[in-house]
Amino acid sequence: MSLKKFSELFLDLDSSNSTNNKIEVLKNYFLSNDPIDNSWAIYLLTGKSNKRFISGRYLKNLFSQLYEYPVWLIDTCYLKVGDSAEVITLLLKNKSTSRKKELSNISLNELLSKTIPDLSKLNEEEKNLQIKKIWERLPEDYHLIFNKILTGTFRVGVSIGLITKSISKLINIDEEIISHRLMGNFKPSIDSYEFLINKNINLEELNSKPFPFLLANTIEDKIFKNSINDFQFEWKYDGIRLQLIKRSGNVSLWTRGQELVNETFPELVEKMSHIKDDFVLDGELLVWNFKEQIAFDFSLLQKRINRKSPTRSIQIKYPIIFIAYDLLEINGRDIREIKLENRRIELEKYFSKWQNKTENNISDIFKICDLIFPNDWPDALTYKEKSRENNTEGLIIKKKTSIYSSGRKKGIWWKYKVDPMQLDAVLIYAKGGSGRRAGLYTDYSFALWKDEELIKFASAYSGLTNIEIKELDKWIRKNTIEKFGPVRSLKPEMVFEISFEKIQISKRHKSGIAVRFPRITKWRKDKKINDADSLENAYELMKKIL
Amino acid sequence: MRTKQEYLIRYKDGSLYCELADIWIDPSKPVKKALITHAHFDHFTFGCEEYISTKETAILLKERVGDNIKIKTFEYGEEFKINGINISFHPSGHILGSSQIRFIFAEEKWLISGDFKLQKDETCKKYEIVKTDYLISECTFGLPIFKWDESNKIANDISKWITNSPEKTSLLFCYSLGKAQRLLNEISETNFKGNIYSHESIHKMNNSYRELGIEIKDTIKIENKKKIDELKGSLILLPPSLSKGSYLKNFKNIQTAFASGWMSIRALRKRSGYDKGFAISDHADWDGILEVVKKSEAKNVFFHHGDSDALSKYLVEKESINVLLFGK
Repeated sequence: MSLKKFSELFLDLDSSNSTNNKIEVLKNYFLSNDPIDNSWAIYLLTGKSNKRFISGRYLKNLFSQLYEYPVWLIDTCYLKVGDSAEVITLLLKNKSTSRKKELSNISLNELLSKTIPDLSKLNEEEKNLQIKKIWERLPEDYHLIFNKILTGTFRVGVSIGLITKSISKLINIDEEIISHRLMGNFKPSIDSYEFLINKNINLEELNSKPFPFLLANTIEDKIFKNSINDFQFEWKYDGIRLQLIKRSGNVSLWTRGQELVNETFPELVEKMSHIKDDFVLDGELLVWNFKEQIAFDFSLLQKRINRKSPTRSIQIKYPIIFIAYDLLEINGRDIREIKLENRRIELEKYFSKWQNKTENNISDIFKICDLIFPNDWPDALTYKEKSRENNTEGLIIKKKTSIYSSGRKKGIWWKYKVDPMQLDAVLIYAKGGSGRRAGLYTDYSFALWKDEELIKFASAYSGLTNIEIKELDKWIRKNTIEKFGPVRSLKPEMVFEISFEKIQISKRHKSGIAVRFPRITKWRKDKKINDADSLENAYELMKKIL
Repeated sequence: MRTKQEYLIRYKDGSLYCELADIWIDPSKPVKKALITHAHFDHFTFGCEEYISTKETAILLKERVGDNIKIKTFEYGEEFKINGINISFHPSGHILGSSQIRFIFAEEKWLISGDFKLQKDETCKKYEIVKTDYLISECTFGLPIFKWDESNKIANDISKWITNSPEKTSLLFCYSLGKAQRLLNEISETNFKGNIYSHESIHKMNNSYRELGIEIKDTIKIENKKKIDELKGSLILLPPSLSKGSYLKNFKNIQTAFASGWMSIRALRKRSGYDKGFAISDHADWDGILEVVKKSEAKNVFFHHGDSDALSKYLVEKESINVLLFGK
């Protein structure tokens, strides 16, 4: 029941590419360890709210200081490895002089509930010495785990889904139930683990937890073969997905990342608590333009997201709205198994009741989503094309007869996003990637023409296949003009098609424009740099949209 | 200080070249006279008029490319003269027959390390410390994150990896010349006593090693139509070139691993697509390179085959060793 077992679990999971294998490994681990360590293991593996005790930078500086290693050398190693905890683990090899490994039997619980939290009680000098002491007393095989916990960077390719599956197999209870039990804050304790593996299902225990979210898939061509009447159409808002829960009179707001955000949006909590009924609503939170009845840009919502207990003036400056699109529970009755079209009827019924009967006017902060009624699929396409006019990203298409299950189940909800905006741009800088992409140049900057000059307008990381990344990496190494630390300036030669969601004026950028979600959609080997677009083309694109 | 043109050995067209003797070291294009440090294909090219190497390298090369190449051979330590330059081969510990090459001219010593390692390897001669004025060293693993474990530890890990999955066929990918034989030698000392199969290219090299007096554990040549059941729980050694593509369809219920120094880094391990990586290398790790640089007593060092920036800076700052750059 020790850190040793967890280290072995980590290695086993890390060296397996098969899902079934991972589930089996997890199941066996849960079977052979005590509840408290299991609970910590789940906490670490799901990475739900892993705390960072020290930063990667701190760890690197500490090692440099303790072992008289130049920082630049550690940084160079980092470029190859892509993870501070792992770099330091590799450098620590054979460094410890003490033969006695007093900590070889330390339990996961002791490490996480005592040894590591105790570090924060120390002053910096004591803390540094204590970390060194732990390194020396811990067998080398556990250094990686320890360093990863310290820096809060535990990523092993184990999703909540896998944990859910393995526990479901362990106790023979539906995945849906386990998934629901895992929602919300997971506080490692014997109780939380026993709750998870309890064979008796008691729905009341799940009261404080949101339901697992149902997610939409990207549209597939085969949907167009179906009758348009089988589906419900909604705008796809670009806000924060929320479950708004009121149970036993208490309102809670849960994000899809399973964060409780009551403090961020207090005005919504306050207003909703005036409603008499209990309910669970699924919907989208937006900053709303009440004059035009459309959403403001996501950048305004960002001004609210990271601000807890916003002042009254912030609340007025950035007015929020919750747009509900589904009703999942009403007065304690779970209605997720009811067909969508019937849930919609319930939603509309209760909404009009609340609007009329609630003392406080709720319509300035809460509404239900409007439905769209295209006549046929080409008509749906026309709606989709118009979605930018009301600041939405396209359409959400939902099967009317579907129940509300969890996860990204196929054949229930689809997103039909508006075609992205595109420009052809020239690759001018590259930077080394991190994590899985360490050692390769995978962070790229692209430029557009302004007269005879190439001006940087966007950076993108995604969109190329692994083979293309390798090919481009080779090219980058051969065509570097200058190196500035991890960044290389490149010979302007390669043209890429860059797609993005939004384009707007920005004084912060030299180009004068900013784009949202830029990504590479095509390597235009057929184009020469003179064929690339100019800033002028970008401005035209902006005009077209405004 | 001399200009780059005046060095006894310099870089020309991507390879090491000694103008005074008009001789190339591991050239990548056909030339008149080529010194070959060892029989890996990235150190050898077809079409040279004459090759010079150790006896073992010559035999391995002929086994790989056929008899119709002209090779002159010398023993380790045996000096020969070309245009007034004394040249000799010395063991580099990389694979069987691998060598460092020393040049002495006008009382100035130059040493080309070739690919080398200091770690234990009973399938070839141990690295010999050779003193020199100028050292040209490889630095494939020239960062301090590279520190090799003892090879018997890795062999035990491999043994555990196979025996922990008795239902599976374990495919271990490794270079067919050198790495495969070293692994076989180490694995035969572990608890794994099941069948070991090897791909034809590896099988061939095993036989050559045996002919040269190196004991290598017997393996069964893998046939495409082996029954799946027979392979369960056994180990199969394959060259990395077969890891992608249709060859793997010959097997069912497999687990795969790659034996290479790069596997010590998790990101590379994950990206490689193998289930598991074993960090074992026939190149020197960081400490190995530093040891060779120091013990060679070289006043001037050149690096090639690797990213040498960090290593050079470290040697200059910490060890006050003069690191020079070739104009490539």
